[in-house]
Amino acid sequence: MFKLALKNILFYKSRSITTFILTFISTLLFIVYVAMMDGSHESMLKNALKVYTGAIEVYKKEYRDIGGNEYLINDVKSIEEKLSHIEGIKTYTSRYETYGLLSSKEISSAAMVTGINPDKEAQMSQLKHTLIKGEYLKHDSGNCLYVGADLVKKLGVDIGGEITFVGSASDNSFAADIFKLCGVFKTGSFEFDAMAAFVTRTYFDTLMYSENKASYISIALNNLDEVDSINAHIASKMDTDIESLTWKTLMKPMVEAMEVDSVFGYISMSLFYVVIFFVIMIFGFINVSSRVREFGTLRCIGLSQGKIRTLLFYEMFILSTAAILLAMPLGGAIAYYFSLNPIVIEGMSEMYKDYGIISDEMPFAFNLLTISWNVATIYVLNFLSIIYPVSYINSFKPIEATHHV
Amino acid sequence: MKKVFIFLLLIHQISFANEAEDIIKKLDNNMRGVSVYMQIEMRITSLGHTRVMKMQSWSEGTKKSFVKVIYPPRDKGITFLSLDSQMWQYIPKIERTIKIPPSMMLQNWMGSDITNDDVVKQSSIVEDYAPRILKKEGKIVTLELIPKEDAAVVWGKIISRIDTNTYTSQKDIFFDEDGKEVRHFIYKKVKKFSKYYLPTYWRVQAIDKKTSFTEMLLEDVEYDKAISAQYFKKSALKRFSR
Amino acid sequence: MFKMILKLAWNNAFLRLSRTLLVIIMIAVSMSMMLSIQGIYDGMTLNMVNSALRSDSGEISIYNKNYRLDKQIVNDIQNAGEICADLENNPSVKAVSVRYSVEGLSATARKASFSNIIGIDLEEEEKFGAFSKFLKEGEISFEKRGALLGAELAKTLKVRIGSKLIFSTQDKSGDINSIALKVRGIIQTNNLVIDQRALYIERKQLYEFLGVDTNTATQIAIRTDDDALINTIKKEYSEQEVKSFLELNPLLKQMEDMMVIFNSITFTIVMLVVFIGILGVMYVSILDRIREFGIMRGIGMAYNHLRTQIFLEALFVGLAGYSVGAILGFFALYYLQETGLNLSTYAEGMASFGMPTIIYAHQEFSYYSNTFYAIVLSSLLSVLLPLRKIKHLHPIDVIKADT
Repeated sequence: MFKLALKNILFYKSRSITTFILTFISTLLFIVYVAMMDGSHESMLKNALKVYTGAIEVYKKEYRDIGGNEYLINDVKSIEEKLSHIEGIKTYTSRYETYGLLSSKEISSAAMVTGINPDKEAQMSQLKHTLIKGEYLKHDSGNCLYVGADLVKKLGVDIGGEITFVGSASDNSFAADIFKLCGVFKTGSFEFDAMAAFVTRTYFDTLMYSENKASYISIALNNLDEVDSINAHIASKMDTDIESLTWKTLMKPMVEAMEVDSVFGYISMSLFYVVIFFVIMIFGFINVSSRVREFGTLRCIGLSQGKIRTLLFYEMFILSTAAILLAMPLGGAIAYYFSLNPIVIEGMSEMYKDYGIISDEMPFAFNLLTISWNVATIYVLNFLSIIYPVSYINSFKPIEATHHV
Repeated sequence: MKKVFIFLLLIHQISFANEAEDIIKKLDNNMRGVSVYMQIEMRITSLGHTRVMKMQSWSEGTKKSFVKVIYPPRDKGITFLSLDSQMWQYIPKIERTIKIPPSMMLQNWMGSDITNDDVVKQSSIVEDYAPRILKKEGKIVTLELIPKEDAAVVWGKIISRIDTNTYTSQKDIFFDEDGKEVRHFIYKKVKKFSKYYLPTYWRVQAIDKKTSFTEMLLEDVEYDKAISAQYFKKSALKRFSR
Repeated sequence: MFKMILKLAWNNAFLRLSRTLLVIIMIAVSMSMMLSIQGIYDGMTLNMVNSALRSDSGEISIYNKNYRLDKQIVNDIQNAGEICADLENNPSVKAVSVRYSVEGLSATARKASFSNIIGIDLEEEEKFGAFSKFLKEGEISFEKRGALLGAELAKTLKVRIGSKLIFSTQDKSGDINSIALKVRGIIQTNNLVIDQRALYIERKQLYEFLGVDTNTATQIAIRTDDDALINTIKKEYSEQEVKSFLELNPLLKQMEDMMVIFNSITFTIVMLVVFIGILGVMYVSILDRIREFGIMRGIGMAYNHLRTQIFLEALFVGLAGYSVGAILGFFALYYLQETGLNLSTYAEGMASFGMPTIIYAHQEFSYYSNTFYAIVLSSLLSVLLPLRKIKHLHPIDVIKADT
């Protein structure tokens, strides 16, 4: 039966080629398109995370809801000690955030001033890269302030200029100091650029009495896919008053937006597949309907309906498999290549800054599992498409079939 | 007969209302006088530990007030000036005067349960509320204060327990619009200063934060003593800091 | 002659009914799906653009030169009244809305949140952008110090219809002043800036509260259909800052452009595949009948007539598919226009991008006309290849050919 199928395929060259091409193109397209979609989501996420939010963040419970000095983490060292033993964590850093008043000679503005570890931060977030003027912070920068561009504009200060800070320390007492503007950054996110300022912790801690304290600890991972398992691991090692959250909770709107985008992507893809499905079905139908006599003859010489079904099944199987065997590696290679060398669209980051896209690259995601289920879908579609032709053929009575025009 | 009865009822209501207003006015007067000087010890307790601050305060009417921090030593010399609705702060450590923007004024004062707004808008109790007597237990009158139609106050109502011996409040409960308690003020240790009575122990507590509260102890209170106009100028901030 | 060809084409096209039917179904289903998707995407973009236009800037907005950098009372437009009168005399101007807005703090007994109070005139806003359609809860009314709140702001402050709200800000003389307001309605514009921070009250009341002159405004927004108007306005009021909708919302323009590109790509791909489908069927059908055609050529039928017949056959199938597709598509779009696509499970994500949770589709004649041209083109082009086969064959060879 298999040999017969093979012979048939080779006989009806043009039809076979067309079916082959259709399957080939659709498989290729599917793999590449999904790789692109997943890749862009992944990069959106990575970029958004890189800007400031960590893949995982560790808080004292209630800090996120109520906030305030009462819910600060009080033993950063012991938590960081535990984190250093957990696999999969690339790096971590603690941040001490406080709201206060920043004033220049003319203007005062409420701002969020954060004590950071500049070296660790540079490894984890985009803060250093978004520098547009002056210098980024160093571990020993002292009273240097690294401020968002819009805030700097509002205060009307220049590099080297003085900015007064008034706020409350970690014990709610007065904290006040004079800072120097050392660097300006621009992330493109207005909220951030108009409200945020950073100081090195070594200096800020003395002012705020916040040594070994933190608002939260931000963690970067080696592999974003492991986020849930690592998070569970972290949670198990922490005390009961500490909670550990992943970006999925921290950035819920973004997660949902990505899901919506995926949904739309799949809807569009499904349109494409409906069309392909029909085309393959038509071809199968044509194929079959012009061979009615042939099948009639086969039936007359004793082939059962079941065997006819098997024959046609084999024909489809051979064609699909051949096409897929060609398309899968090709698609995979394309996905792999572009995952390592992303497509660069100049100016894309300017356009999509607000959506958290800060690079001009559009990488693809290479994932064998995804590719496999893509391929499986195509297989299924192909087989579904010959059901109608097969039942059509089998509906003929053998003699009737041989008289078919 | 009916007419007389209604008439009597009306008079009774009016006099009651008048009495309530009277009580409130006297209460307010006790708080304010024409000018007041006092030393305040503020104890802010939250999550187990207590922070203590001592200040000296000069105020004239409702629009002018000058405060100087004298304890802890770290914060000594910090001064605040509030004139009309504007507020400035001077910090000796960095030798700078800054203007506190309106937005920050409406927020909690130094981590306590009192807002700047409370401090600045105290006068509103007479103008913004319509008082009504709820019950009388000897000399202790419980008043219900309902905000007037257009009054710009966030409370749904305030219930005050007032000692009419001294015209000072023993307890004030603040309710939101739905009638739920939001915070209460407790007043104790009433003392007499010239012709004014003032509770010298205050305690403010938010209902939903059981473990944090703010206490204020008032000492060295002096009413209607002439306060130099120098205190209510911007120059005062730096001048009286030392 | 032509009539005969027509008849021949018609009969032949529907000869192999099931085959033809398959193609028709294919065209119909893909077409209606494509129309629906296009409708939804366009609906989505239009919705966002519309929200911003209606609730905020209109096609053109006028501000004081310094206002957008520093939103203070001192940076308001001084002669708003005159500007407004001038604009109303301009025939290109469809509607004008004058607004006064300041930043401040909204507070209840339990919560406080920074917000923008915006003084508006309800009648003006209604004419400007059908303001009442934004109403989510309560009613549009400023009765008795009534105020309307953006949905997200209402959520943050945890207020309901009838709740009391105190708004405090610095008035013109620099004093902090407060006003008590009652929440009369909650609105949802899907314009984040408004939904998260806006508090609307009667403009006259705001003037009084702030102590500013009634001839001033912080924003004058204009609705117009005239694209050239922006230049005239910019010249006329060069001492103010005049911005077009696109200048104020560059992101939306990009979204629009992206949608156009996206829709074109989908369209092309679908049409390509339809082309392949028709090609396949026609090719086979012609090959099947090669003997037939040979005979017809043999009895003297001109090649051109044969070509016409085949074109017509392809056209009939294509048009039949188009008709069914158009009907299906129309019903699908109608449903999506009225009921919309409900994405409320992704509510938070949608809201963060300023998109509504229910998306209504858009319908345009061009959807149908573009598809019409494309299908006609596909049908005609698809038979070119098979036609070549017939052209070069000698009638006698053809008659002899084996099926």
